[in-house]
Amino acid sequence: VALVAALVACSPVERGPRWRAAGGSSPRDGGTLRFATKDGIVTLDPTREYDEVSGYVVHALRDTLVGYAAGSTRLEPRLAERWEISGDGRTYTFVLRPGIAYADGTPIRAVDFANSLTKARTSADSPFGSFLAHVTDITVRGDRELAITLALPDTSFPNVMAMTFTTPLRADRPELGCGPFALERWDRGERVVLRRNPHYWDAAHVHLDAIEMLENVPRDTQFLMFERGELDAAAPLAAPDYQWIVAQPAWQPYLHTRATMNAFGSRMNVRVKPFSDRRVRQALNYALDKQHTIKLLSGAAVPAHGILPPGVAGRDDALLPYRHDPERARALLAAAGYPDGFDVDYLIPADEEAERLAGSLQHDLGEVGVRVHVQEQALASYAAALGSADGPSFAKVGWLADYPDPANFFDASFHSRSIANDGTTNYSFYVNPEVDALLDSAHGASDEGTRAELYRRVERILRDDAPWLWDYHQLATEVIQPYVQGYAPHPVWVRDYTQVWLDLGANGERVPR
Amino acid sequence: MIALVLRRLGWTIAVAWFAVTATFAMVAAIPADPVRAIAPHASPEAVQRMRAYYCLDRGVIAQYGCFVGHVARGELGDSIRQKRAVTAVIADHVWPTIELAVAAVLLQLAIAVPLGVIAAVRRGRWPDRAVNACWLVAQSAPPFFVGTLVLYVLAYRFGWFPLAGYGAGVLDRLHHLVLPAATLATAGVAYYARAVRTEMIDALGEDYVRTARAKGLTEARVIWRHGLRNALGPLIAVAGLNLGLLLGGAVVVEYIFAWPGIGRELLLAILDQDGPVIIGIVLVAALAIALANLAADVVQLAIDPRLRE
Repeated sequence: VALVAALVACSPVERGPRWRAAGGSSPRDGGTLRFATKDGIVTLDPTREYDEVSGYVVHALRDTLVGYAAGSTRLEPRLAERWEISGDGRTYTFVLRPGIAYADGTPIRAVDFANSLTKARTSADSPFGSFLAHVTDITVRGDRELAITLALPDTSFPNVMAMTFTTPLRADRPELGCGPFALERWDRGERVVLRRNPHYWDAAHVHLDAIEMLENVPRDTQFLMFERGELDAAAPLAAPDYQWIVAQPAWQPYLHTRATMNAFGSRMNVRVKPFSDRRVRQALNYALDKQHTIKLLSGAAVPAHGILPPGVAGRDDALLPYRHDPERARALLAAAGYPDGFDVDYLIPADEEAERLAGSLQHDLGEVGVRVHVQEQALASYAAALGSADGPSFAKVGWLADYPDPANFFDASFHSRSIANDGTTNYSFYVNPEVDALLDSAHGASDEGTRAELYRRVERILRDDAPWLWDYHQLATEVIQPYVQGYAPHPVWVRDYTQVWLDLGANGERVPR
Repeated sequence: MIALVLRRLGWTIAVAWFAVTATFAMVAAIPADPVRAIAPHASPEAVQRMRAYYCLDRGVIAQYGCFVGHVARGELGDSIRQKRAVTAVIADHVWPTIELAVAAVLLQLAIAVPLGVIAAVRRGRWPDRAVNACWLVAQSAPPFFVGTLVLYVLAYRFGWFPLAGYGAGVLDRLHHLVLPAATLATAGVAYYARAVRTEMIDALGEDYVRTARAKGLTEARVIWRHGLRNALGPLIAVAGLNLGLLLGGAVVVEYIFAWPGIGRELLLAILDQDGPVIIGIVLVAALAIALANLAADVVQLAIDPRLRE
């Protein structure tokens, strides 16, 4: 048996797309799109869902007052027809689109939005209360108007109203959705089936009959299922699969690599020696060879000069990442009083990718005399250590944005207000009154140009002050079958297939290559 | 006999309680923050509020008190990651694991009994040695290796079986069940076959077998009716003990084949430090193993009067 298995495993196999697009020129309706995820759905309750996989499904089931335009981070009205900002910049009035309805056809009223916002603010186990911390008043005017007043002007606030937890909830039937799809069945931990919602206000852009998502399928199995045609899309690709597929010309047109809203690096606790010295932090930034990082991520990443990924308004694309310069690093360390380097513990979460990257960091920093001792912990233990003022001063960190606005990146990570002894999100315990002041004035700035300029100044200060060892922005990789049409990867919504269509043969079957 | 069973039942509960308390102590000893792990961007105040909700802001003794209070009310607390009752999590996932375990045991018996009998009857000759070699390989092959191999060869390359999932409808479910059940059964087959072989060798040396042969019964009748029947008794005890092994293997097998059982839930809960779910599943598993052993004992008592003294 072992011999036969070995022979089969080693014999060559022809791999490539097995089907092709039928050649239809305009979107046709019908068909089921199938995909799978490595993790399972945690909950479909929009006021509690805060993980990626639940997000895919909840986003298809729910719509919000505002949203992002196709393929971009530009805000556009969705369930709201328009919104107005008061003269003092503190009150946002949303006017609902006429005739919008839930999946059962009953009308959506303004009070339903107040209902979900109140639920998020008051539930003990909702993680979203903090996004509404500065909301002072929610007023419902009739069926179609909702006014939200903030304590201070905040230009980024409409982004919060694009987060799915703000979706309308009917008090008597909170499970009722209002998105492009409605829930047909959910076998927990196994699969979820979504069926097209005929009452959706933008139904003209929805072509699929159904979406079927399998939960908890390991990544390599997902890719095998995709190759066999049991799935219509596979993402994110495991490193070996991605390396293989980028070398296959036949798959190139169907491979998507795109920027998403994240940043990764290492925090250096600026309160603790040796990281209290800026020269040490800069030295480490010069010592790390980011090309190693990119290679270890199979090319699915770009080097970072700060926390803002490409595509976020206000990012200074002209700013360069620290170059790899071990000489410079050694000189800076010597100037800071560490001519022979130092020993330091480095905390990472227990996963294979973090291990590989930590090995590379250990090597690069070793070249300038910094002896890194890698400590690995399960995610929950790692999160506890990272949030604590007594945790390891040097640790891997990442930021996955809640919305694509610089405020969401900068305020949580570098404003002194976000420091806490337990559960901090300012992981470096970085305090800089100038940065605080710039971030505060950017908050209220209504002119986009002024605001962008303020954030660019923050970016430059942070690049030089180096509270993080800036490393990389990860790109999302995804491959779809040739007959999946109209798919434009979105920078905010990952795996959003709600507007794709399937280019199948006349009988509704896939056309073989 | 009833007193004996009741006493054993008392022990069963004590064992399960000990397993759960030990698990609780281990979970509590790990410096982890499951709330921060599920809500990395929430403000410190929101995190504090959530910790209080899950009883995580108090000392270990108080947390144990919370847990005991839940159990006294017939519940197991709320899952931190899934944000619902642990009893609901277990109720959703226990059935797939039972299906998988039953299928694996049936497969094990179907393969192990004939192999063990053949090995015993042809003791020391090539069939015995061949069976022995197979045991060695099967017992040494870890489920994650066997699982990945059969997945690649039989599901991906030959396409005979689905790659992952639970299936819908009876036939589709059985089709999905074959590979995970076979993988889970592999290691245990050797276990059973060895037990059957040993018992058969003993049984075939007994006087009643010689008597049966002397009566002129066919050799097949001697082996299957007189030998095997007497060899099966101890197998029941082996089956009781084997359940623990099976549940341990299910954790890996369910993960590889995306089988939605409690083994995989346990693995995911451990990765997320979701204490209430870890403890709840350990409780169910400990009770199942202890009860299976109790049942094995009772069955043996019932069929073998000598053990009742």
